Amino acid sequence: MKKHVLTIAVLIITAVLLAGCTQTQPATQQPSGTGSTSVIKVGVIASLTGPASNVGTNMWQSAQVAADKINAEGGVTLKDGSKVQLKLIVGDDESTATGGQKAATKLITDDKVDILVGGYSSAVTSAYEQTIAEYKIPFIVTGASSPIITHRPDVDTSYIFHHCPTTDTYGEYTTLFIDQVVRPAVNKKLNASADRPFRLALLYQDTAFGKGIQTAVNNTITKNKLNIQLVSQQSFRMGDSDFRTQLTAIKAANPDAVYNGAFPNEGAPIITQARRDIGLNTIFLNAENNDNAQFYKDLGQYGEGAIIESRYSPYTAPAGEVSEAQEGFKQSYFARFGTYPDMMGASTYEGVYIAAKAIGNAGTTDKTAVRQALVDLKMPQVIEAMKDKTISFSPEFRESTFDLWMEQLSYNATIGETRPVIVWPDNLKTTDFVLPPWYVAGSSP
Amino acid sequence: MLAAAFVIPVLTDSMFIINLMVLMLIFIIFASAWNLLAFSGQGSLGHAAFFGIGAYGSTLIAAKSSISPLVTIFLGAAVAALIGILIGLTCVRLKEWFLAMVTFGFAIIVQTLTVSVLAPVTGGWDGIASARLISPTIPSYQLIEYYAVLAITIGSIVALWYIMKSKVGLAFLAIRENELEARAAGIDPVRYRLLAFAISAYIAGVAGALQIHHIGYLTPEIYGVENSFWPITYVILGGLGTLAGPVVGTVVLTIIWEGLKATGMTFGRYVIIGVILILAIIFLPKGLVSLPEQVQEWRKRFRKKEPLQEPAVK
Amino acid sequence: MDNIGVLLQIIFWGLYAGCIYILLATGLNLIFGVMKVVNFAHGEFLMIGAYITFTIFILTGFNPYLILVLSMLALIGIGAVIERLCFRPILGTGKLNEIFLSIGLIYIIQNGAAMIWGDAWQSVKSPYAGITVQIGSLDVPFDYILIMVFTAAILCGLYLFLKKTTIGMQMRASSQNRKGAMLVGIDVERIDIISFGLGCALAAAAGTLWVVSGQVFNPYMGSIPAVKAFAIIILGGLGSIPGAIIGGLLMGLAENGAAYFLGGIWKDAISFVILIIVLVVKPTGLFGEKGE
Repeated sequence: MKKHVLTIAVLIITAVLLAGCTQTQPATQQPSGTGSTSVIKVGVIASLTGPASNVGTNMWQSAQVAADKINAEGGVTLKDGSKVQLKLIVGDDESTATGGQKAATKLITDDKVDILVGGYSSAVTSAYEQTIAEYKIPFIVTGASSPIITHRPDVDTSYIFHHCPTTDTYGEYTTLFIDQVVRPAVNKKLNASADRPFRLALLYQDTAFGKGIQTAVNNTITKNKLNIQLVSQQSFRMGDSDFRTQLTAIKAANPDAVYNGAFPNEGAPIITQARRDIGLNTIFLNAENNDNAQFYKDLGQYGEGAIIESRYSPYTAPAGEVSEAQEGFKQSYFARFGTYPDMMGASTYEGVYIAAKAIGNAGTTDKTAVRQALVDLKMPQVIEAMKDKTISFSPEFRESTFDLWMEQLSYNATIGETRPVIVWPDNLKTTDFVLPPWYVAGSSP
Repeated sequence: MLAAAFVIPVLTDSMFIINLMVLMLIFIIFASAWNLLAFSGQGSLGHAAFFGIGAYGSTLIAAKSSISPLVTIFLGAAVAALIGILIGLTCVRLKEWFLAMVTFGFAIIVQTLTVSVLAPVTGGWDGIASARLISPTIPSYQLIEYYAVLAITIGSIVALWYIMKSKVGLAFLAIRENELEARAAGIDPVRYRLLAFAISAYIAGVAGALQIHHIGYLTPEIYGVENSFWPITYVILGGLGTLAGPVVGTVVLTIIWEGLKATGMTFGRYVIIGVILILAIIFLPKGLVSLPEQVQEWRKRFRKKEPLQEPAVK
Repeated sequence: MDNIGVLLQIIFWGLYAGCIYILLATGLNLIFGVMKVVNFAHGEFLMIGAYITFTIFILTGFNPYLILVLSMLALIGIGAVIERLCFRPILGTGKLNEIFLSIGLIYIIQNGAAMIWGDAWQSVKSPYAGITVQIGSLDVPFDYILIMVFTAAILCGLYLFLKKTTIGMQMRASSQNRKGAMLVGIDVERIDIISFGLGCALAAAAGTLWVVSGQVFNPYMGSIPAVKAFAIIILGGLGSIPGAIIGGLLMGLAENGAAYFLGGIWKDAISFVILIIVLVVKPTGLFGEKGE
């Protein structure tokens, strides 16, 4: 038993020492929320480790670029006229629920951050929503795509603001695009009558994300009584890499187009396998998170003709101010990290701007005041196109509204990859949607 | 350690530490549950299944019946134990690698069922809200929750201690060491194996339910591999088959993990944990609890081999 | 008949998936046969093999099918080092210790790879992408024919190696009776290193064939195939190479059948459902022998 006592003694000492160390930290920091803060602490929750580390790192680095820019311009002006700098503190959610909960608690209670930004996987984010509710700290979600985040009835989500389109939004948007653009084009090609039902197939990740898209498509068709028939709905496990069987089943159903509810690491192989291995020569529609450089690289020539619903692309932007702002962001990010930011990075970048703006408007870091400032927020769009060029949160579920667009990929032989052009909606498009020459429309068997 | 567990929450006003300690205590329970099964000679690679079933069981019972989660955790765990017996029944004839693989697969099967056929009840991938262990409306409920979890942890460890010391524990040990001899001594291996499965699944279910009522939201990710592997890592480092092993392993690794995290290390954390684990398996096969003993033995060996060097060491 | 065409295609994809599994499972079995340990981190060698192929491909632009050989050679070396440092010290200690050790290896190799190569998804382009071959009613991409040919060639090579060379015979001897092999003067520790290295090389081959078939990969890619390979050798019977081959094909077919008939979510679970059913009926696996 003696040895146990010894081990245990050592452990207690270490534990107490460690506890002591972390203890002293908050003591040296002055209490926040008084309005006369010397620095505004923004907590960034991102997945720096685990399966989502790729996206998480991008989000964290984008936040840093935003904070640097805001600080270089003097920081945030408070009520008393003082200019205050932003300080970012990152919390690694380890891509797990418990990791997220630990990170949020640490940022809120130990680091005493004034506001939170970030959050990627919906499963991880929902694990610390009750912590947010408990401490009533404003949280701008910039990566989770599930509407559940702010629609949950069981906890108080009034401090949570969703700055990132949800699967409801873009599932509906893409379905409307299919109905208004792809369907007429296919009818024209087939010389079919306008009432020919459009044959759509779905291939979705069996997770909250993929099922969210599936639900949105089904609901949109029913709600708007669209002339779209879902001829095949196939699913796959997250992280799977072999989709040939599902694609074979889809091909057998003769679709006019396939909508993928997938991540880029799944979307690119889906299209490659479909075009190369299965001979499924159709239009593939992809969710916005696929619009990153890796996706284009992995797709190569097979991306030809595919559609991506997007709000931020590495290779295109709607003409005008947004385009310049995006270019500036990409360049500062590249200058600092040597790579380019992705879509979730873009919204996290804006998340930091929103946080700064809300605190500036409130003139204080008092959390109730900042929340109110977020509710009342009407700020000009930053780098992504927003509805009415304004970032503001809807009254009921506190979601901001993005100006989405659809882009079509065309092959560029010199770089060996496809590049996007915006084809919808009319006010943003630079060219029209076309059916590629190799396109084969579906037919009822 | 017990004293520290009681005192630290009073000393610290850091909710982060208290929260971390709650999660750590839950993992102590979970690791101890895995350890009991290993004690009976059965290594599971899919204990996340029981962790998750306990969580779903308790959450659903609490939601449908409005019984306090403090009660439902034990009911949810009973569901886990029941399923544990079912799995045990398919596994009784299997050993080592076979058992490891079946338990691993079982976690995947349960997850698949949760998001497919059971989705109407479980909420599928969207998950379901889980009632808090102690309602947040009660003042300083975090401390109450902490002590409630601490009490359950102590209760579980005492129960496990009692089991391991009792005739049942001896039977487990006998089966693990030599099944034929155990049979000759009149021990029915099948019965005891099932018993070990049931107890282990029950305690793992309690741990899962506690964690989910602490977090407040439950998604099928709970069946993930990391939830199966962490308890193994803790137990192996602490000391397989010993009562103190899971406790020591969980505490030490949690401290190392959070310490490394505080330095801003990302992937390196896992590499270091992996190296520690491998070193422990090779050089400290009985885990950290045997460290003092081992150090003495190394010293002895060192003296014997190179007696002349001794003064230099001192 | 349209449906039969679909079914044939699904069987073909099952065969292709089976090839990757067979290579992995055979490697695992080779190691198990000689050393009686199961390396749960075997998928990490598949991942390293994929990354080595990828790196050489980026640097030199060689045909990835040729790089396969280099990747296999590299993995023999890496495997030998890991065997010497990690597995040899625990040989003959507690059962399952190697699995616990493998968990440590998984942590180290996955995250080490993420530190070296980054955690982004990568891909390699096959020079034969786009070429298809007509087999009966199927239009089959040439790459898959190559993958199947390579798998068969590697397996035949392994068979000849085990049957015809001295080292191969020594490996078979150690596999059948380790003590006996020691008694007749075989250096079993050397045989251990060689079999472990060969097992890893097979994983590297699997990894390379994986990436040329248009699959993307990242440092976490190896875990699931490894677990399946493990399930396959349990299903086929530990140490039985025919068991691994039949088990691998069976799993490949079952998974793709499940994805078609039950939905994609069942793809992983079905392997284990089959495994459990087989083990309930025959606790030593399809071709496993009693004892050990």
